[in-house]
Amino acid sequence: MNRFSTTETVKHAVLILGALIVILPFYVMLSYSLKSPGEIERNEGGFLGRQELMVDERCAIRAAPDRAAIDQARPDHPGKSDREILAHLTQDAREGCSVRPAVFNYTMAFSEAPLLRYLLNGVIVTVSIFLLQVLIALPCAYALAKLRWWGRNLVFGLVLFCLLIPVHAVALPLYIMLAKVGLTNTYAALIIPWTISVFGIFLMRQFFMTVPDDLIDAARMDGMSEFSIVWRVMLPTAVPALLAFAIFSVVAHWNDYFWPRIVVTGNRELFTPPLGLREFKGDADGSFFGPMMATATIIVTPLIVAFLLAQRRFIEGITLTGMK
Amino acid sequence: MASIVLSSIAKSFGPTVVLKSIELSIRPGEFLTLVGPSGCGKSTLLRILAGLEQQSAGDVLIGGEVVNKVRAADRNLAMVFQSYALYPHMSVLQNMMTPLTLRDLTFAERLPLLGPAMARGKYRALHAQAVETAKVLQIEALLDRKPGQLSGGQRQRAALGRAMVRKPVAFLMDEPLSNLDAALRVHMRSELAQLHRRLETTFVYVTHDQAEALTMSDRMAVMMSGEILQLDSPDRIYDDPQDLRVATFVGSPKINCLPAEVDGEGRITSLGLALERRVGERPRAPTLAIRPEQLRLSKGPAEVGQGLGATITHKENLGAEVYLHAALADGAVPVILRADPEEAFGLSIGSRVELLPRPDRALLFDDAGRRLSYLADAEVKAA
Amino acid sequence: MRERFTAWCFAAPAVLLMAVILILPIVIAAGLSLTNYSLGNDGFDWTGLKNYDRIVSRSSFQKMFTATFTYVGVVVPLSVGLGLGAALMINSLKRFGDFYKTIYFLPVMAALLAMAIVWEFTLHPTIGLINETLSLACGSWLESFAFFERGCVRNFPLWLGDKHYAIWTVAFIGIWQGFGFTMVLYLAGLTSIPRELYHAAAMDGAKTGWDRFRLVTWPMLGPTTVFVVTIASIRSFQVFDTVEAFYPQGGGPSKSVYVMMFAIFEKGIQQNLIGVGSAVTVIFLTFVLFLTLVQRWLVERRVHYA
Repeated sequence: MNRFSTTETVKHAVLILGALIVILPFYVMLSYSLKSPGEIERNEGGFLGRQELMVDERCAIRAAPDRAAIDQARPDHPGKSDREILAHLTQDAREGCSVRPAVFNYTMAFSEAPLLRYLLNGVIVTVSIFLLQVLIALPCAYALAKLRWWGRNLVFGLVLFCLLIPVHAVALPLYIMLAKVGLTNTYAALIIPWTISVFGIFLMRQFFMTVPDDLIDAARMDGMSEFSIVWRVMLPTAVPALLAFAIFSVVAHWNDYFWPRIVVTGNRELFTPPLGLREFKGDADGSFFGPMMATATIIVTPLIVAFLLAQRRFIEGITLTGMK
Repeated sequence: MASIVLSSIAKSFGPTVVLKSIELSIRPGEFLTLVGPSGCGKSTLLRILAGLEQQSAGDVLIGGEVVNKVRAADRNLAMVFQSYALYPHMSVLQNMMTPLTLRDLTFAERLPLLGPAMARGKYRALHAQAVETAKVLQIEALLDRKPGQLSGGQRQRAALGRAMVRKPVAFLMDEPLSNLDAALRVHMRSELAQLHRRLETTFVYVTHDQAEALTMSDRMAVMMSGEILQLDSPDRIYDDPQDLRVATFVGSPKINCLPAEVDGEGRITSLGLALERRVGERPRAPTLAIRPEQLRLSKGPAEVGQGLGATITHKENLGAEVYLHAALADGAVPVILRADPEEAFGLSIGSRVELLPRPDRALLFDDAGRRLSYLADAEVKAA
Repeated sequence: MRERFTAWCFAAPAVLLMAVILILPIVIAAGLSLTNYSLGNDGFDWTGLKNYDRIVSRSSFQKMFTATFTYVGVVVPLSVGLGLGAALMINSLKRFGDFYKTIYFLPVMAALLAMAIVWEFTLHPTIGLINETLSLACGSWLESFAFFERGCVRNFPLWLGDKHYAIWTVAFIGIWQGFGFTMVLYLAGLTSIPRELYHAAAMDGAKTGWDRFRLVTWPMLGPTTVFVVTIASIRSFQVFDTVEAFYPQGGGPSKSVYVMMFAIFEKGIQQNLIGVGSAVTVIFLTFVLFLTLVQRWLVERRVHYA
């Protein structure tokens, strides 16, 4: 068995080629978020860009000297014509508006649109959705797995049926219902349709069924109410599944574009990160690719970093939820 | 049929040495068992023979030719796995035909739909071969079923059928009976032995069950910690073990081990009892080993004081015979002996008895577990 | 019994939400699809099957079906196939397997909208990286290929603007994003194949990788494949982000990328034609339901456990 077998090398070559294609947009995104408009247009500067000082055109326009400024500056420039003074002041203004491209891009990202607010919204929405999902799914799963009641099969059948319905597919009627109740453009609209995770109920039920009945009976003998049992006995046993489900839920809802696009129409304050980016794109003119890429980077980074730190958990989670 | 030779086979996984230096020569047509406790390396040795593992050193020879570089698929050996490893998506018939199609049909002829259309004649011939083998194993009725629809014993036969159908140079079996229940296992032991006689092909059999090894083999190799301790017929392994470990591993219930002393003249005593045998060496802490059936209760007043005093601690009544557990030397040395139901009738826990060994059947081992043979009478007289 | 009461209490919120958020909308959509309702109107008329009739006959809706099915028909086999190929290769590597796994899975984690915008930029006809790299080949021996010849003389393709290329480009992005997910699922499936089956295949005479694949790997991946294909199909049916980001109005050059979710969005939300939007919703749901039932049936039929 030789160390460097040809098949192994070929496999690596193919995989590396694939990796390059996969990484390409990430490279572009990161790289252009650090470059000046000129560099972007001409596609130069390597990965990090040359980081030469560039002039922020909008700032320069804002700071452009007017009549009053020229008059004010006349005493400091004896013997120069108005035009010369104007040129000098313009030069000063431009220098004052000089900034490194990377800094420019990222500060623009936060100042042109309330990106921090969007990120906050993202956090609020994903966390609320997940917590509510758990709050609603766990007791139901417990009832389906461990309690004896005549409606059990009926409700489980309902769960199975609802597994067939992707929420995005019923977005339109949901939107109408929310509009009729006056709840569009609210956090409620962003959160409520996702609080019912049929998949979560299904997954938790599978896990709960593996918990020995004796454990629950012992808890009952100890005097625990059924409600306590759910949160103090069943929840700890299902932590791995919950973790997997959390990952699945957070990723799906942080990245969701379709539903927020439908339901948040007027109120910028409610934009989730993808919506914020989309609006940025809509507004942007050609020179704003840099900040747009910076915004994209900021939106994409939290999940990527979390993924890189805990890859095994992520992949396990997605697989686990996938294989049901 | 061909002879199989494993020469100086060694195997390590990283720093762990699994096989030390194995020399094994298997005669054509014999039933050879590799037996030993878990972790002794027997399965690894079998897989090396099969070609599924590569040895770290040494050679494998089949029919006199070195086959180290030959792939498993080309060695013309057949293997029955512990889990049977039947293809779950195929019927028994298809399982049995797979080795034949892989060997006798070209790539094109093996394609799913085109193949059978193109090579109808060949397929028919292979089909017939498979059916014939199924008849020998009496599983014709099961040919259309999938493995998931068979019982344990039926699956085992299907796995055997898949191995037999190719008429290999040797059959390799990796603990094939361990997944069956006790009664079925006993039945299959005799069936396998009969099958071996009928096929007249070499069987190399791996098991941890010494009873299987004793009842089925022509020769058995007792392995421990990566080496073969003794390779002999079952009778000789049982009656004439060369290592204490072999003696304790083989035989149920376990052989009794008593501390012994050897004096300057080679005379052996154990717990006060003197044996009428001598040995040529003087080990410092030898062990005297006696099989349960070689230990008996003293009969009547004529034998009082001649045996070992013991207290009964437990009685196992198996109906046809009774196994008495006793403690010698104030409870320090436990022994088991076999007794007739009549003898054991009046005894209960706590009864004091006297035990007599059959002197020439007791075995002496030195400090390292090596067997010491008794000097013949002539040698004794000369000493 | 107390247990019954408790159970209902526990299940009630879920049941209520299921009814209101999942079931009720289907009923409403079905009902509204037979009307000409618009949000903001007080009343509406029952129009019977007129909306469905329009969908089946109008060319723009036919383009909707073409676009959707082309997309699904390209993305599903390719993302499943590439995922399987990547999984097989990575599984057989001695080192760096985890590295590739991580990289290939990154697109799944990144917000599709964000990455779509980056792709749009990368595919820009003049300043995008792709076309700029392609134009580096101008003046070299590669120009002998017709593609490069045309591209060097005129422009390299408008990947997103040309009606011949648009749907394939969007499909490519869909594959780029999705095959990491199928790869991960296949990797899990591969590890559950008992090793001894490969040993048995070796003993039976299987020599090449193809033999092993056909005899053991592919059959044992059966249930995984069914699952992966279903998930990939449903996900690709729901494509929206890329389409709306690239073509906010109209669904692509000459509607070549006018997929169903976008049609629902355009008709129902943007143009406030709720009746038509609901009709498309109903058709969409039917497809999804059909797909899932086919998967269930296939799994029932082909279950085989050792």
